[in-house]
This record gives sequence, structure tokens and C-alpha cells, in this order.
Amino acid sequence: MAKRAKAPAFHAQDKLAFLLSLVPYLMDHDRVRVPEVAKHFGVEPEFVRDAVRLIGVSGVPGETSQYQHEDLFDINWDAFEEDDEIVLTNLVAIDESPRFSAREAAALIAGLQYLSSLPENADRAAIASLEAKLSRGSSSQPSPVAVEATETDATLALLRESVEKGVQVEFDYSNSAGHAERRKVDPLRVESMDADWYVRAWCHLRRAVRTFRLDRISNPVLTDEPITTHAKDVSLPDTLFESSADDLLVTIEVAESALPLLADYVPDGSTLSRASEGRVRTTIRVTHYHGLKRLIGSMAGVARVLEPEQARAAVAAWAREGAARYAD
Amino acid sequence: MPTSRPVPRIPVEERLFSLVLALLATESGLTKNEILSTVQGYRQRYAPGGDNANLERQFERDKDDIRELGVPLETIETPGQAGNNQTLRYRIPRGSYELPEDVRFSPQEVTLLNLAARVWREGSLSSESRRALLKLGSLGVTSDEPVLGYAPRVRVRDAAFEPLSAALEKHVIVRFDYLKPGQAAARRREVEPLALFQHQGRWHLYAAEPDTRLHKTFLLRRIVSPIELTSRGFQPPAEDPREQALRDLEAIWESRVAIVEAVPGSDAATRLLKRRGTTRVGNDRLSLHYADPDIIADELAGFGPEVVVIDPPQLRDAVRERLERTVAEHG
Repeated sequence: MAKRAKAPAFHAQDKLAFLLSLVPYLMDHDRVRVPEVAKHFGVEPEFVRDAVRLIGVSGVPGETSQYQHEDLFDINWDAFEEDDEIVLTNLVAIDESPRFSAREAAALIAGLQYLSSLPENADRAAIASLEAKLSRGSSSQPSPVAVEATETDATLALLRESVEKGVQVEFDYSNSAGHAERRKVDPLRVESMDADWYVRAWCHLRRAVRTFRLDRISNPVLTDEPITTHAKDVSLPDTLFESSADDLLVTIEVAESALPLLADYVPDGSTLSRASEGRVRTTIRVTHYHGLKRLIGSMAGVARVLEPEQARAAVAAWAREGAARYAD
Repeated sequence: MPTSRPVPRIPVEERLFSLVLALLATESGLTKNEILSTVQGYRQRYAPGGDNANLERQFERDKDDIRELGVPLETIETPGQAGNNQTLRYRIPRGSYELPEDVRFSPQEVTLLNLAARVWREGSLSSESRRALLKLGSLGVTSDEPVLGYAPRVRVRDAAFEPLSAALEKHVIVRFDYLKPGQAAARRREVEPLALFQHQGRWHLYAAEPDTRLHKTFLLRRIVSPIELTSRGFQPPAEDPREQALRDLEAIWESRVAIVEAVPGSDAATRLLKRRGTTRVGNDRLSLHYADPDIIADELAGFGPEVVVIDPPQLRDAVRERLERTVAEHG
């Protein structure tokens, strides 16, 4: 399985959500080992142990308001400490799983909408029923947040079929320099960034993992050749854009408000300085000037390249050729 | 606090957990004083007959934290003593706390929900979806791994997003400065926020103007001031505003058509042809839909010489101006 994005630290509220979720889970599992619980919830084993230790001494004030033994949860402490095993022996207050909050339900519903065009989700009725269930399971009306389902074409279905059948997929790919080549790949993971979709794949032509934009892929077909590299064989990074030693660094001046749009291009530890009112100077990282000229060309008046000279010239030439097409 | 006894430090989550347990277990509710004097995490710091102002403030914050998790914390007034804070009783009604029995998920559904949660990698939506997954895990259903792995991402980078989503939830009117392209100065807006939605990769606010009742769509990236939440509430619409929001923008998208000429085999030709709604009209000519004239002009300018706008003339001018500006700024 793909490595999960580095999650922010758990806050007290998250820990509370976990405690309230863990109790009903443990009620349904008479005897369960810590690593299994950790895997199920996607958390660290020590996080589970901390929660179990706390549950084991928690309870309600009770009739005496003194937290008597019968007012507390209890666990089999020997099994827990010696075998890393959780056995609840006394229960209080909690019977069932908690509801979702309005915002939790909204986050899942909006995520589902966004993904509703994936080949896995061909059954729209099933998605609608799932959304309705989330609404019913929410403590109040889910917040109105929506994401348009992005159009994903037949390419995605074919990529999935390629992995399912274990055969390479072949397509024409035009890179940002405008050169088209026939590529044969082993798909590893489908990725997206808002409305743009990509596939990370082992490229047999380049003999390396490459990222392909789905909207630059044409004429995809399945081949007879077996896949040689599987997702489990490679460790894929969490970031879509990988930095490499060959990257070119470019200094730009950009409207402060547009800076978040370039966040993925700004290398870690790069510095910002104020250029003028509302504009900042920073460094971005690009693989080649073909990508840069397209990016800066789409930000006229918002961002401009300062150096190196070669980068400025590449952008200027690109825009000049473009403007020339309107000359007559 | 001048006490002779050392006060043991109780972790926040222990205090919150104990509060939820105590309020779930009570039928008739507990008064604030009962809570502060008996519940684990408060009782250790409670001064009988003394000043408990700090502890009371702590309790107020804890209530907010718990409610934010979707735990319904209810107050009951003692008959004949309405408005008396001392006799107000707190409880968590089981029926609205517990997940209804018919809300259960199949392994396929859990797989989908895991994927849906992974869409959010930043901001509060990522914490919300992580908590939602913990609660989902409570049901003990194991998910299947999809045949081909997915790593979907929706970015939430606009500074206006978080304050607007808070305003959406509280149903309060917001104020902000909005800069329309082509206008010299931003204009102050005051609107009722109805929905936040992403269309073509950009976040929009769907809102109603309090005076005219007209519905308007705002691009978050054109909001140039901090969002100001007012204390004035409004009645949210009965029907789900999300669909209407997407439908309104979709109607605009449908009505706006550009004719462009793209160099065969170029990046522009490949990608524009893959855009939703694009059709071939003649040899190298494409017809494409767009929602916002400035955004499409930016996109087309990025293609440089690979594309020329034929129609409409305003879009042709807009792309040409952008290209000329880029030339001028890089000369």
C-alpha cells in the first residue's frame, strides 16, 4: 500500500474521537491484539496503547460521585501488559459508535463527489445512497461544500484494466516541449491535483518511474506484454512533483495573492522577500524551461521571471511567437 | 492557586473523555457545579465554595471542543427557573449521539470513503476527514484495496476558505473586498454564504445578497481582504444549495463558447481536445466552453503560439494583451 501523507499531530480532540470510536470497536472484538487495532485504524500501536491505558481507568462519577470500581471501564491488565492484547471486562456509558460531525460528513461527501467519475464508481446510485447514509449519520446537516466531479476519460478505465490483467499499456505522449513519443508503461498509481489527473508509471522507454498527465495521453491500448514492475516494488513519494538534482532554479516576482498557486514549485527552505507592495520575490524549481514558459505565460501581470537570463528569454520568445500569431 | 495539596495534571483528552462519559450516563442532566465538582479533570481543580472562574471558562471551551466533534451537548432548564445558569442542566442525549442503526457500511463503501477522505491533505478538511475515518473504523469493517492505487488531492489554498466555511456553518453574513478583473479597485461585498464549491479546479463561494435576494458566485482567489464574519445570522435555504451552485455555474459554462485554432499535434491541441465539452469544428479548429473569460484567457495565453483565438473578439483581445504584456515584462 502507498505510504500515507505525513499527517499532522493528533490533538486532544482527535484523541477524544479515537477514544469514543475505539470503545465500540473493542466491544465487538472480545480479544484483539494492539497491532491489529493499530492497522485497522491506521494509527501507531503506541497511540492505541495510550488510549487503552486511559480507557482502563476512566468512567463515570456514579451514584457516589466517587468513581467507584463499578463505575469504571476495566480491562484485563495482565493480557494487555504481557500479551499486548485488549480485553474489556467492564463497560460503562458507551453503547454505540458516535455520529459524524456536520463538517466530517461534509468532508467525506465532497470527497466522494470529486471521485465519482472514477471507473470504480460507475454505479452512481450507490454513491448517492452512500451520501444519504453519511447525512443520516451526521449530528446535524452536513456543511454545503462541493467539488465538481472531474471528467476522466476512458484512459483511466484502461489503466485499471492494464493492472487487473497484468499487461502493459501503450500510448502516445506529448511532453511539455511538444515532442510526442510512443510509450509503454506499467501503471503504478493514479494521482490527481484538483481538476488535473496523472498516472505514475514505470516507463519502459525511459527505464524509470515517470509521471504522465492524463490529458497528454492519446491513443492508449493494452499490449500483450506482461507488467514487470508492480506498485509494491517501488516506493512512490507523496508529493506529485519530485525534485531532482537536474532541476533548474528560477527567481521570480509574483503577486503575493498568487503565491499559494505556486506552492508546489517552491523548494523547501527557499526564501521570500518583498519586492514591492503586494509582490514578493522567490525561487521556484522547474525541470526545464518548456514547463516554465507555459506556467509564466498563463500568469501575465501576476508573475514574471527575473533570472537567469536564459529563463527570461525562453518566456519572452514563447510569448512573442504567440503574440505574432495575432499580428495579421 | 493557593492550595496545600498538589494538583495532579490530568491530560486534556482524559478530561474531555470523562465529561462525555458523565453526560452520556446521566438521564436528568448535571448542573455546571455538579460537573466541576465531580467529573475527572475538573474535580481535582475545584475549590468548594471558592472562586472557580478559571475552571468555568475551561468548561466553556471544552463544551465547544466536544460540540465540534459532532457530540450533541444539550441543556435543560429547570421548570420555573428559566435563565438561571446555576440550575441549567447538561446532558448528551443518546439518540442524537449514537450513529443510527441503519447507518452501516459495506467493505466496498468503506474503501470508497477511505479514498474520499484521502482527497484532503491540508487545512481543516484534512483533520475533519481523519476524524471521520476514526469513527468509521469504530464499526470494524475492513476495506478492500483498489486494484490500482489512487492518490487523489484537492487543494484548499485560498486564505478565504477556512473563515468562509466557519461562516457557512454558523449561518452568519460575511463581508469582504472583491476585485473583479478589469476593475481598478476592489468593492466591499456583504453576502449570506450558502455553499463553497470547486469548479474546474477553483474554489468558489455561492452566496445570496441580503437586499436583492440575488444569488452570486465569487471566485475565492479574487477576494482581496480578510473575511469578516458579522454577528448577523440568516435563515439558510431549505433546499441543498450545492447542486444549485454547480448548476448555475454550469449554465454559464455551457453558454460561453470560444473557437480556437490549435497547431496539430501540439500540447494545446492534445489537451484542449481532452477538455470536457470540446469539439472539433473544421480542420484545426476547436470549440470549447468556459465559465470565466479571464481564466480561459490565462490558460490560452500559456499555450503561446500553439493556439490562436478566433472568436469571440473580446477573448481574442484578452489573450493577445496577455501575450504582449508577458513579452514587455520579459524584454
